Amino acid sequence: MTATPSDVLRGTLDLLILKTLTLEPMHGWGISQRIQQFSRGAFDVNQGSLYPALQRLEQKGWIESAWRTTENNRRAKYYSLTGAGKRAVGQETASWRRYVSSVELILEVK
Amino acid sequence: MGAIRGAMVRLRALLHRRATDHDLDDEIRFHIELETEKNVRLGFTPEEARRRALVSFGGVQRTREAHRDVRGARWVGEAFGDARYALRTLRKTPALAVAAILTLALGIGANTAIFSAVNAVILRPLPFTDPGRLVMLWEENPDKGWHEGVVAPANALDWREQVHAFEDLTMYNGSNGRVTLTGVGAGEPVVAVDTRVTGNFFSVLGVRAQLGRVLRDEETWGGDQRVVVLSDHLWRERFGADSGIVGRTIQVEGADFQVVGVAPPSFAFPDESVDLWLPTRWSMEDRNQVWFRRAHWPRAVARLRPGVSLDRANAELQTVVRRLQQQYPETNTRMGAGMTPLHEFLVGDTRLPLLVLLSAVSLLLLIACANVGNLLLVQAAGREREAALRLALGAGRGRLVRQALAESLVLSALGGAAGLALGWWGTRILAALQPAGMLPVRDVSVSWNVLGYVLLITTASGLLFGIAPALWSGRRAPVEVLNEGGRSGSEGRRMRRWGDTLVVAEVALALLLTVGAGLLARSFAELRNVDPGFDASGTLTASISLPGIRYDTEEKMTSFFDRLLERARALPGVRDAALVSQLPLTGTEWTSDFAIAGRGADGSGTEVLHRELAPGYFQTMHVPLLSGRDFTTDDRADTPPVIVINDVLAKRFFRGQDPIGQKLAFDKVPDSSSVWRTIVGVVGSEHQVEMAAEPRIEIFSPVTQDPRSAMTVVLRTDSDPASLGPSLRRLVKEMDPTLAIGSMKTMIAVRAESLARQRFLTTLLTVFAAIGVALALIGVYGVMAQLARRRSREMGIRIALGASAPRIERMVVGHALRLVAIAVVVGTGVALVTTRALGALLYHVAPVDPITFVVVPLLLGLTAAVATWVPARQAGRSDPAVVLRGE
Repeated sequence: MTATPSDVLRGTLDLLILKTLTLEPMHGWGISQRIQQFSRGAFDVNQGSLYPALQRLEQKGWIESAWRTTENNRRAKYYSLTGAGKRAVGQETASWRRYVSSVELILEVK
Repeated sequence: MGAIRGAMVRLRALLHRRATDHDLDDEIRFHIELETEKNVRLGFTPEEARRRALVSFGGVQRTREAHRDVRGARWVGEAFGDARYALRTLRKTPALAVAAILTLALGIGANTAIFSAVNAVILRPLPFTDPGRLVMLWEENPDKGWHEGVVAPANALDWREQVHAFEDLTMYNGSNGRVTLTGVGAGEPVVAVDTRVTGNFFSVLGVRAQLGRVLRDEETWGGDQRVVVLSDHLWRERFGADSGIVGRTIQVEGADFQVVGVAPPSFAFPDESVDLWLPTRWSMEDRNQVWFRRAHWPRAVARLRPGVSLDRANAELQTVVRRLQQQYPETNTRMGAGMTPLHEFLVGDTRLPLLVLLSAVSLLLLIACANVGNLLLVQAAGREREAALRLALGAGRGRLVRQALAESLVLSALGGAAGLALGWWGTRILAALQPAGMLPVRDVSVSWNVLGYVLLITTASGLLFGIAPALWSGRRAPVEVLNEGGRSGSEGRRMRRWGDTLVVAEVALALLLTVGAGLLARSFAELRNVDPGFDASGTLTASISLPGIRYDTEEKMTSFFDRLLERARALPGVRDAALVSQLPLTGTEWTSDFAIAGRGADGSGTEVLHRELAPGYFQTMHVPLLSGRDFTTDDRADTPPVIVINDVLAKRFFRGQDPIGQKLAFDKVPDSSSVWRTIVGVVGSEHQVEMAAEPRIEIFSPVTQDPRSAMTVVLRTDSDPASLGPSLRRLVKEMDPTLAIGSMKTMIAVRAESLARQRFLTTLLTVFAAIGVALALIGVYGVMAQLARRRSREMGIRIALGASAPRIERMVVGHALRLVAIAVVVGTGVALVTTRALGALLYHVAPVDPITFVVVPLLLGLTAAVATWVPARQAGRSDPAVVLRGE
């Protein structure tokens, strides 16, 4: 590790959550672990903002939640993508890419 | 889809705040447990593992708050907080709160009551099956002056068969009758209101009996059983709601009728007063008689086939009407017909008065809102420092505005609740005071529609009067306010402009309201001053109808009324007594064709009113005999027929001739069978139908030559006419114990009843205007006093700097007067445009009546000027020393 993990950029958290949930339904802790894992430790999800973000996504109708039992026989709230959520992942990813490439262009300017 | 699901999530989270919070807690706990376990696996001690888990979570409470924010729960929580805070603030200023709530309650209460009436009459559908398909059919004839009139049965029956757009058509008597019921329990004979209807009446309207059955079509056409359907209220009041009533026999006018059913409680058609429905009894032969097409008396209602438009039905009707005109020229020449949706027809002339009243109470509510708005504004200004301090300490401006709005909404909610109570009580008063038949009494009540309306106007008023103070509280920069160092500086310009606007608005609104009330009051005074053509004072009237079954010959009827008149004249206190077939000003009219001997047929087909009298009517009613003579006891059935005419007829048809000795017949085209009647007298003209209608041409015949089974006795006395009641009742009972007196009223009461609608409307409007003016004056005084007080410091400084007190006073008073002048000009201008809507309600008064438009603005302007003057003068009297030291 070359640097301390940075906070997930505000606004990208939603996209990361959605992307993570395309794999399988997951509970909140699982999502935070996955994001950390995928970014090879570069991102540390501020767990305090994770749950409000989940609520926000649920209100948008992109994800839904249900209490289920984990493999260790504990109750946890699992989140999964809805149809609208699946479509949103595509759109959000595309718009993120556009954004990144635009920023790139600007940074390339000498 | 996503959006809907999202909204559900949001709603659930709002409605189950606790559960959602609880859910989140569980979720967080689970999260921390897993994180702790992970840390333990990494080799930390359990305590350290848990500590690290909590640290990395970054504050449970903050997460909770953030979560609530996302859900909007914070907003809800704050709204509750605002409401609680508002209530606390209001409790701190109880006088202000009570004044504001009462003012609002007055405005909202008046609106509730009037809107209930509007709802019951105009908005609510008729209580029939699929009422949208019902139409009122009417006939009109420009020659006879008939407009949307009753129909001839033969014509209506032809429409029923030939207009395919009609599913069916029913007829009922255009005016209710009165019948005497006997055999009703063991009680006295009862006079009941009956309506004759065709047997298909209930089925066309789509109404079922609550007990037994309704009438059947064949009961009109030659059924030999006499049957009757009772109204719910007659059944309850006279038969104790006896469920065994069906099949029983009662006597109607002495004849046996079988009760076949009881109508449902909601059914009151043609009007509230109907006690029983009897089938008309017509035969197929009647249809071919000329009178069946000439005489017009029933109303006709048709039900359109499903999906048929009004236009199409009307087009079909017109085809049939034209065919009938050609087929029956004698009766149907120029006889048109048309249709109006039933509801619209029934609402008819009640719509305009109700809408006028609704406008009036809306103006009232606006004035109330202006007053409350001003109260709150004054309060907000007084709390300026508090607001500034909170802003300085970091409160959001939006938050302050919201809090002020919450206060006004809490106020309006309290006012609305009080207003609803007041309005509920108001609907009782309306129902009790209303002139007969104006509102469907049983249905004027506070219903869901009304509640919705009250909620709407309550919220709207809260926002209306709350918005200015709310914006005010968030507006001024804290530095500016706090720098004033405990003294309120020279009055903010905005505040003053707002006060000025309120003054102008209130006075202008009150003016508008008062002009409307003034116009109606003037019109009502004009109506009351109309000379009806008779002297109503000192007379008592009582209607008596003889049952046909025992008084089955003209001799029996004549002899009874002769004896009655003779004995009535002998009653102590009676100076004159008379009999007449129809009292004036009771709204009903009997008309006939007529022709004058020796002249060609009157092509225009003018109709003449006719009434039947016993000798002495003109003398009793103080109707002047202009020439010739009254009837005498010598005018009998076997003497030559005679008539008396009124002077309108004499002037129109006998200009420059002596009508006495001329002859008339009640036929349009006289033939050998015509009965010629000789004119023996000319009398002054009464207003026959209503005060607002000019006297029409009229013919009187002696009742001996034209016997009637129902007559009205008129007694004149020098003392109180009502005191004759008991002896007249005793007399009738003595002569025939089975007779009941239909209605007993003084002629003064009859005249008052004929003006009841106008009186009702005028009274209500005057009351509303009075309340409006009072509120406006209080408001204006309040605004001016407040402005004056807040300017007193400025005045003090001016005086200290050498301005003379009178000059200051002139300045302030001048400003106030300018405001009133502007308001008067604005209010009068708006009134000039809007009072046109009142036109149809005014009698002999133009909507831009100069008297009203001078007197009202002048009086109101003067009063408003005084209300502004008093506080303004006080400002001018400010003592600089006191004022400058005072703060």
